[in-house]
Amino acid sequence: MDLMDGDEEEFGFSRNYFLAKELGGSAKKSTSKISDINVVDEQDLRAAASKLAPKHEREMTSLLNSYESLYSKWTFELRCGFSLLMYGYGSKRALIEDFASTALIDSGVVVINGYLQSINIKQAVVTIAETLREQLKTKRSLTGNMSKVHQPFSSLSMDDLLAFLEGSKTKDNDCFVCVVIHNIDGPALRDCESQQSLARMASCSHIRMVASIDNVNAPLLWDKKMVHTQFSWCWYHVPTFAPYKVEGIFFPLVLINDGKTQSAKTAAIVLQSLTPNAQSVFKVLAEYQLSHSEEGGMPVSGLYTICRERFLVSSQITLNSYLTEFKDHELVKTRRHADGHDCFYIPLASEELEKVLQEIA
Amino acid sequence: MAPSATPDSPPATPISDNEENSLQPFFVLHKGVPQISERKASGPGKTRRKICLSPTSPTAAEKSKVDVVDEEDGHQYKQLRIEAFDLVWSRIENTIKDVLREINISVFDEIHSWLRQCFSTIRSSGTPGVSEITRSYPLFTDLTCRQIFTGLVFTRNVEFVDDLLTFQELGEHLKSCGCHVCNLSSLDFSTKNGLGGCLRSLLRRLVMVTPETADIAILASWYCEEGNCSPLVVIIDDMERCSGSVLAEFIMLLSEWVIKIPVILIMGITTTIDAPRSLLPSNALQKLCPCKFTLGSPAERMDSIVEAVLLKSCFGFTVGYKVANFLRNYFLKQDGTVTSFIRALKIACAKHFYMEPLSFMARGFLEDDSQSFWSAKCVHLPEGVLKCAFDLPSCEKNKMAEETSENLANGLSDLKNSVKNWASVVLCLYEAGKFQNMLLLDILCEALDPALCNSNALDNHVEIGNDSAKPSSLDHYPLGGQYAGLRKGSFISQAVSRVRDLPLVPLSQLLKNWRKQSKEITELQDKVKELQSMLKHEENGKSLTRAAADTLKRPSRSAWNMEKDTKTVNDKAARLMLYMVRKYLKPIECVPFHEIICFKLVDILQSTLIGDPRRRIQLDLLNSRNYLQCNCCSKSGDAILPSMHDTSILYTLAQEHGDLINLHDWFQSFKTIVLQPITKGKQKVKKSPSSKKGKYMNDSQDTSEALIQARFCRALTELRITGLFRMPSKRRPDFVQRVAFGL
Repeated sequence: MDLMDGDEEEFGFSRNYFLAKELGGSAKKSTSKISDINVVDEQDLRAAASKLAPKHEREMTSLLNSYESLYSKWTFELRCGFSLLMYGYGSKRALIEDFASTALIDSGVVVINGYLQSINIKQAVVTIAETLREQLKTKRSLTGNMSKVHQPFSSLSMDDLLAFLEGSKTKDNDCFVCVVIHNIDGPALRDCESQQSLARMASCSHIRMVASIDNVNAPLLWDKKMVHTQFSWCWYHVPTFAPYKVEGIFFPLVLINDGKTQSAKTAAIVLQSLTPNAQSVFKVLAEYQLSHSEEGGMPVSGLYTICRERFLVSSQITLNSYLTEFKDHELVKTRRHADGHDCFYIPLASEELEKVLQEIA
Repeated sequence: MAPSATPDSPPATPISDNEENSLQPFFVLHKGVPQISERKASGPGKTRRKICLSPTSPTAAEKSKVDVVDEEDGHQYKQLRIEAFDLVWSRIENTIKDVLREINISVFDEIHSWLRQCFSTIRSSGTPGVSEITRSYPLFTDLTCRQIFTGLVFTRNVEFVDDLLTFQELGEHLKSCGCHVCNLSSLDFSTKNGLGGCLRSLLRRLVMVTPETADIAILASWYCEEGNCSPLVVIIDDMERCSGSVLAEFIMLLSEWVIKIPVILIMGITTTIDAPRSLLPSNALQKLCPCKFTLGSPAERMDSIVEAVLLKSCFGFTVGYKVANFLRNYFLKQDGTVTSFIRALKIACAKHFYMEPLSFMARGFLEDDSQSFWSAKCVHLPEGVLKCAFDLPSCEKNKMAEETSENLANGLSDLKNSVKNWASVVLCLYEAGKFQNMLLLDILCEALDPALCNSNALDNHVEIGNDSAKPSSLDHYPLGGQYAGLRKGSFISQAVSRVRDLPLVPLSQLLKNWRKQSKEITELQDKVKELQSMLKHEENGKSLTRAAADTLKRPSRSAWNMEKDTKTVNDKAARLMLYMVRKYLKPIECVPFHEIICFKLVDILQSTLIGDPRRRIQLDLLNSRNYLQCNCCSKSGDAILPSMHDTSILYTLAQEHGDLINLHDWFQSFKTIVLQPITKGKQKVKKSPSSKKGKYMNDSQDTSEALIQARFCRALTELRITGLFRMPSKRRPDFVQRVAFGL
């Protein structure tokens, strides 16, 4: 905290930066290519990757166990109205869920998997509100006064939902729902709007948050209002060194094809999070590609006609919005057809495509 | 996945690392089970007891029984501490709120009277009837009245987070004065939701409905129902963060309706008066009729909060020297917001009540008659707890006579008195320091320094005798240039020397303030009174001489004499100040039992308040062996071993590269490391940083090419998750880019 320390740190930082830059510039830049590595077959690599045994399993377990002594502190702080933010290298899923399921048995716990590619926060809030309502109900039936009539949460607006979570002004530190967010800095939550909603949720009196971050720059997601008045984090450095098994699923293996191919599994996961209509549009495209494997892809006009016939889209605009969504997730790509038209194709091999279709069926 | 439930944890819902759940966007882990008894609430983290009941007393047969009692007691005390925290913190929080309200109240009143004026101006052309208001076409009235009265509230603080509460309070205040108030924020004026969005929030807050279509006519009819007789105030706390176009549209719309619905805007501005001009187009600006208000600065607020929370009254929680310094630096150099200070204080408070076993006794500080509270409580304390109290380091130092409950109660009362006296003196110092524009926080930090206690102890031989009621006795008090014991240039010595140079009028003001601040200490009261009467005597003399001097038009001899006399009063005041410092400014960390109310663990506070992911995550990777403490890697010193965590190996290797890392080279060196003991020297090593070839077993890993490549890929993916590298791009397909340099 001393001024001198800060300066020194700053100096060290800039020195490192320039050293690194210099090293990159002066030393002859290596011209080796990835292709020089004799990369094994993709299937084998994936198979090997899925079978990797973690090193130091015993040590990791005892490291994890050592954090158990913090549980009572964490519960105390949650009760005092703070949220917890876990950081440090290694997957913290097991740690947080273990904490939640052993130390927070009195309150409901809802888990949000922030590492997934798309998350509907509103739906999550509806679930949280339902959990809270049940909790309040059981509590009230114990104390004797029943609550008023409710309408279903799914029909309420986000504001109304948050107002419900905020509850009455009287502080009740003992009745809360704990929201666990793995990777609050995950890809689907990285935008400003999601963080705003999460922050508003965290500030509600019936909500306590336990979240984890893995990216070194995660704090940049929040402004001072969020940090000081809404989230009110207590930071905990809890490296676990546990492998990022699920968190890493969505990243391509860097040695394969410039890391651009999608595996069937990730494609299926993305598709499952889309609306049924969007899934059906994808199916149309996939079926076409499977039956016309020699062609480069499906022209837009053809796709539109079929989708319209099947009542999947009502206008070109709707179709385009689906296609944009697909393109964003790299489910679909375009290329120029021999006759000059743009056409769409799915960058997956036939067998993989069939697997995807089976999964979303 | 890492092992989930720990072997000795209770078999609650097993965290099966169930694929299904891990790929759900969200799921319910478990539902809340209502508390059947209070006891259950403790959860599994068995109260980590610090109160150690003395193991000497019971015989072996009784021991198990004692253990049970011990466990129950532990829980009971934990519950007591939680209650004490709730009580203490709610008192502190309310005090802070009151202080902030007090600071703002004059501005609030100013705003309110301005509002009334505006309202009567709007209504000067007559009050429209209900039918007129709800009609959809505009009223024909004087066009100049189409302007919206707008209060621009300057916050004098770029961090608007401090003022969120201020605007809330302003809203409450105006509501209590009978206005209709709606607080909006920049989130309501987003381009995404447009004008409809902000109208909807307006209707939601005021009319309490969320209509399908946002129509201002709904507001009009609501306003008629509400009686049509008070202004409608819309407060936007952070105007500069609003979308300019949406705000402009909103203003244009309101201006059309301003006669029917007398809307008055209040907008918070953090920068300068130019802000509205740069945000809004001119047609919207023309519709505003602005008036300027200014709030207090953060430093002022900070001082008032510190004064109220840490000095004016003791709430049973306070901070030690290091923590106070940390808080001060954090405020002055890092964050600059009062909000963060309050949050830090709350964290410190929670930590204190969690960690200090005896902190539940702090409740006594909130009682009017603390002594009898403690006497009553201490009698019932078990022996173990008593021992725990007398084992506190501060007690060890000043070894007390007997470890009885009575002594504990007395010790606590002494602590309370000592804190009170200390606070009075700090406030007196602050009164003097005000003439030098000192911050209270600076003086406070200095006054908390335990070193002060030692220097005071050295000087105690110059203790003034018991007959010190006579101010003359103060004359013997040393008043050297450095005020022995006080560091030269320290805030306290500056304040003292400032007293010496004060002119007559401020001096008498200072004495008046001292009298107010030292109410608790009768001895000081008397002395200040005496000084005051001396000063009064001189004042009278001076006014006479001034009259004489005026007639003569030159300073007379007697005036010069008077000057000298004032100097002696100044000297006396300075001596008195010094005396106060020596006698009463006993830093809390030098008082027995202070641990019960004083939080001193600055490291814990810092790490909880400010995470440092950038540095810590890199350190995790570079020093993985320190965390894992395995036998295989710990011996090697700094060398990279194949048995280390893969990601750790990869990151350590990356340190040798520049900002760009060639994937091929990186992979090769990774492979070399991983294969080290087996393929000795066979590999073409380009850049093997570790030349030592150890004979460590390779963790019985299969070293087929596919496996190594998979390990490399996984390690890189994990590094990508930490955000330390940028992955290969189209432009540079064979390189990854480092993002973090140094820790």
